[in-house]
Amino acid sequence: MTQVTMEEVWKDINLASLHPHRQLNIDHEPVLSNQTPNKSIFQDFLNKPLNQEPPPSSSSTHHGSLLAPPATVISLNTHFIDTHFDESAMFGCFGKKRGQDSDDSRGDRRHNRMTKNRESAARSRARKQERAYINELELEIVHLKKENARLKRQEEQLKMAEATQHQTKKILQRSWTSPF
Amino acid sequence: MSLSPRDPLVLARVVGDVVDPFMRLISLRVNYGQRQVTNGLDLRTSQVLNKPTVEIGGDDLRNFYTLVMVDPDVPSPSNPHLREYLHWLVTDIPATTGTAFGNELVHYENPCPTSGIHRVALVLFWQLGRQTVYAPEWRQRFNTREFAENYNLGLPVAAVFFNCQRENGCGGRRT
Repeated sequence: MTQVTMEEVWKDINLASLHPHRQLNIDHEPVLSNQTPNKSIFQDFLNKPLNQEPPPSSSSTHHGSLLAPPATVISLNTHFIDTHFDESAMFGCFGKKRGQDSDDSRGDRRHNRMTKNRESAARSRARKQERAYINELELEIVHLKKENARLKRQEEQLKMAEATQHQTKKILQRSWTSPF
Repeated sequence: MSLSPRDPLVLARVVGDVVDPFMRLISLRVNYGQRQVTNGLDLRTSQVLNKPTVEIGGDDLRNFYTLVMVDPDVPSPSNPHLREYLHWLVTDIPATTGTAFGNELVHYENPCPTSGIHRVALVLFWQLGRQTVYAPEWRQRFNTREFAENYNLGLPVAAVFFNCQRENGCGGRRT
């Protein structure tokens, strides 16, 4: 839900910077300059999550894309969220300066965040894969050990059987010349 | 035996980021306390405070080995611009013994990552002779490959790695 609003908001701002007279589809008063839209929207946006529980991952990611340094983290750690908001508040003060930064750098930052997240995800998957491989090997070890033990026992038994057979053969007996 | 493409060392890119593909020739057992380090084992900083016991294989005591312990993910895995950090360097380890019998050129510094989950690799090399390996000047920006080349160590004969992170979670992302 927040996600959709966010996207719309940014689209509107991009357009607003080009067409100052254009009406924005948000609840705020119509903005005229480049600078104020960023500020008011930032602050509104900043105020929003403070009322909620730790934000869901989608909104965190978007949050991060707006406020590139310092970066966001998908974290339910409330302590971390507090510090994050402190820094965002600071950032809000510099909103004027940042607002004048090109709008495509915002896109760039978002893009960077995305690539970094992807890399991190790839590393996590790699770690998961390693564990899976080791688990497979361990299972195989257990299986092979069992089979080894079984085969050894079998071998023992066969040897024993052969040995006893051998012993009986040493005793000579009449087999068919007489019934006793 | 050469490394399979699904070997954890390959999957974790330890082969690639730290060393070149090699063949395991000597057994390498690393133990932090009771825990034996298998590739990809997850450890926290509190579990790696003290140096591990390391035992190596081989059969001839006249062969000497060098053990290098590096962290290629400094300061953070997403931005490892200080790759690698040398945590420990022990040389002249006779075959069948362990690091206790070697020469600790760079004393053990416990891994203490502040950001992200770091791979920490222990790599074993065969030395051409005793006292042929010397310590570098710094721990930072260590390059295992270059180090091996400088001292004619060739390709590794064994390696193992583990994942290490902060005590209370991986410390989040820092740019």
